[in-house]
Amino acid sequence: MKRNNPSPNGQATPTMSRREFLGLSVLGLGIPLAEGLTSPSAPRAASPEELAILYDPVKCVGCRACQMACKRWNNLPAESTDALGIYESPTDLSAITWTIIKLKQTDTGWHFFCYQCMHCTDAACVAVCPTGALFHDERGFVALDREKCNGCGYCTQFCPFGVPHLQTANIWTGAAKSAKCTFCQDRVWNGLGGPSCAEVCPVGALQWGKRAELLEVARARVAELQARGMNARIYGETELGGLHRLSILLDEPAQYGLPAAPGSPALARFWQKVIQPLGNALFGVALAGILGVFLFVRRKIRMEEVR
Amino acid sequence: MTVQLKDRAEAITIQWIPKYTALERLGHWLHTATFVPLAVTGMILYFPFLQPLAQGEAGLFIRLIHRVAAVLFGLLPIIYYAFQPRRLLLHIREFLPRKEDIGWLKGAPAYYLLGKHEAMPPQGRFNAGEKLNGLVMIIAWAVFGITGVPMWFGKGIIPPELFRWLVIVHDLMMIVSVCMFLVHLYLAVAHPLMWAGLVSMRFGVVSAEYAAEHHARWFYGPKRAMEIYEAKKRAAAEGKH
Repeated sequence: MKRNNPSPNGQATPTMSRREFLGLSVLGLGIPLAEGLTSPSAPRAASPEELAILYDPVKCVGCRACQMACKRWNNLPAESTDALGIYESPTDLSAITWTIIKLKQTDTGWHFFCYQCMHCTDAACVAVCPTGALFHDERGFVALDREKCNGCGYCTQFCPFGVPHLQTANIWTGAAKSAKCTFCQDRVWNGLGGPSCAEVCPVGALQWGKRAELLEVARARVAELQARGMNARIYGETELGGLHRLSILLDEPAQYGLPAAPGSPALARFWQKVIQPLGNALFGVALAGILGVFLFVRRKIRMEEVR
Repeated sequence: MTVQLKDRAEAITIQWIPKYTALERLGHWLHTATFVPLAVTGMILYFPFLQPLAQGEAGLFIRLIHRVAAVLFGLLPIIYYAFQPRRLLLHIREFLPRKEDIGWLKGAPAYYLLGKHEAMPPQGRFNAGEKLNGLVMIIAWAVFGITGVPMWFGKGIIPPELFRWLVIVHDLMMIVSVCMFLVHLYLAVAHPLMWAGLVSMRFGVVSAEYAAEHHARWFYGPKRAMEIYEAKKRAAAEGKH
C-alpha cells in the first residue's frame, strides 16, 4: 500500500498503512483488556457512616430467633422441609429464607453459623446486575429494589456465597424476581432501627451498628477468645473489599461453609471490565470502518460504471 | 469513463437468471427476522445506557421476546433442512472452503474499496466473503444454542462456575456475530458493487452479467471459469509490459 495517496485535488494526504492501522486497533482493544485484568475493581471509600452486622458464634445458642424475625419482618412464608434427621431446617437459603442457622458437628463440638447476605463492598451481584436493582446503599450494605429487577438471575450465579435466589414465577417465560437479605433496608431507611435478626437476638450473638465500631468490638472479642485458648479470627474485615456482615470464626472458614479467599467476582469483573469495553471497541471499530468505507467508496466507485 | 450506449434498448435489457429458491429466500429473511430482535433485546441487557429498558416489567418483556425469538431462531434451520435434506448437502458443498477463497480474500480490499476486480479468482454461487459470513452465522447458531439453553433452564442445576462462563461466551459470540451482521448489512444495502445481492435475495434472480462477473464458477462451470480467469490475467500482464 502506498504511503501517500494523491487525493483528487492533487494534494498528498497522509494515510495510515494497513500495518499501522492494525497495530493501533490491537492497542486500542488491548488497553481495556489489560486494565480489566490488572486493576482492582472500583474501590469504595470506607465511610464512617457504614453499618454492619457482627456475628459471634461463641455467644450463639442456635435458637433461630434471627431466622424467625427475618421471616416475620420481611413477610416471608414458611418453607416445607423434609425430615432429614439433621438440625438445620431448612438446609440452605432460598428465595423465601434469607437467614438461616447452619450447624456443623466437629471433633470439638458444634459450630453454629448464622448465614445471610455478606453485603460485600466488592459485590459481584451489583457488578453483574443489568438493571441496577441491586445497589450499594450509602451505608455500605447491598440493597435490592424489587421493582427494577427483571429476573435475569445473574446475581444468583455470580455471588461467591450463593446468597441471592430467584423467586421463579414461570420457568418458560423467565418471569422471576431476585430475593435476598437486604439488611432490612426498609427499617434502616425509615429510621425503625437495624436489621430485625440483630434486633431480636436474645444473647447478643448478632449485633448491628457502625462498621468501624463493630470492628473494634470484634478485635477485642477475638483477643479475649484467644486469651481463653480459642483459635479465633475475624472474617469479613478485608474479604471482597470488606464485608458488612462481620463474623468471628473459631476455625478455618471452610468449616463454616465459607470460601477462605472469596475471589469470585473475577468473572463478574471480567464481564464488566473486559467483555463490555471489548464489545464497545469492536462495535465502534466496525461502525467507524463501515462509515469510512462508505464515504470512501462513494467517491471511488460510481454507480453509473457498475454493471 | 462515460458509458457509451449504441441504443436505448441496450441500456435497459437485463437477462435475469434464477439464483435463490423461494425457500432459500424465506429462510434467509426468517433468520433475519429472528436474529435482529435477538440482538436488540440482548443488547438491552448488555449496554448500561439502555438500563431503563431492562428494568422491571419492561425487562421481563424484553426477556420474553428474547426467548420467543430464540426458539424460532433455533428451530428454523432444523425445520428448513428437515424438509429438504438435499439442500443441506448442496449448501455444505457450496460453503466448504476452497483454495481460490484465499486469492479472493486477498483481492477483496482492492475490489470493495476501488472496484478493481481483475485479480478476483472465480467464485461459486457463494463467494468467499459470503461463505465467511455464513460460517460465522452457523457457528453463532450453535454457540447461542449451546450456551443459551443452559442459561434458560440450568440455573440451580449446573454449577455457577459453568454458568458464568456461558454468559461470557454468549456475549463474545454476540459481539462477533453483530459485527459480522453490520458488515453484511452495509454490503447488502449500501455498497454500489453489491446492488444485485439484495435484488437476488428479494426476487431470487440475478443479472447474467453480474453472475458471470461475481460468480463465474457457478455461471460458467469450473473449467470454463478458470480459462476465462487465466485469459484475463494474461491480458492484464501483457497490458502492463
